[in-house]
Amino acid sequence: MPAIRNQIRELRARREITQQELADRVGVTRQTVIAIEQDKYSPSLETAFKVAIALGVPLEQCFQYDAHGKR
Amino acid sequence: MAPSLSYREKTLYASLAAELIVYGPYFFLHQQNTVNKVAGMIITIIVLQIVLQLVITVFTRNRVIDERDRLIELRGYRAGYLVIASLMVIGLGMLWFHAAIGHLHLDNGMMGLHFLSVFFGMLVIADITKTATQIVAYRKAL
Repeated sequence: MPAIRNQIRELRARREITQQELADRVGVTRQTVIAIEQDKYSPSLETAFKVAIALGVPLEQCFQYDAHGKR
Repeated sequence: MAPSLSYREKTLYASLAAELIVYGPYFFLHQQNTVNKVAGMIITIIVLQIVLQLVITVFTRNRVIDERDRLIELRGYRAGYLVIASLMVIGLGMLWFHAAIGHLHLDNGMMGLHFLSVFFGMLVIADITKTATQIVAYRKAL
């Protein structure tokens, strides 16, 4: 399991927001949103906050840290 | 949804293609090297890169570059630097070795061309390593 996991895919689906829409709101590429959703990239704190704000949830609802996870 | 290529990825693939097309013959066709040939390759790669970047820019609507792109770019430069630094150490070691056994004749008229060829080769290898590392990084977990 990765050290930083996220619920972006589920939160996005519930709000019917596409990857491109979320990417535009956060100011990143769609490929970066995909990489974050697939746990292939851990975003900076600033981007993590922007994602949480774009999805309308607190940061900890969007991202979770596992001290025993990889990376 | 499958990840299509971002603007940066497209430019990297174009750069790698240009580098392989222009520099490929330099490594695999063993022709007599000249200063004009090296200069011609440098001018060709610059012109080709500009043309390819222009085409990609025109045909790509979303040209956002974000923190992941910048991180991958830095990783590429790190890999390129490690390659060029390693090749420099090996090259200087070989130079020292050849000087020690008396095979180095600095008065030889071809020596300058040999040095140019070796250093140009090092730069090309480091540049291709940088671009290839960035392409791989886009497909791997960071």
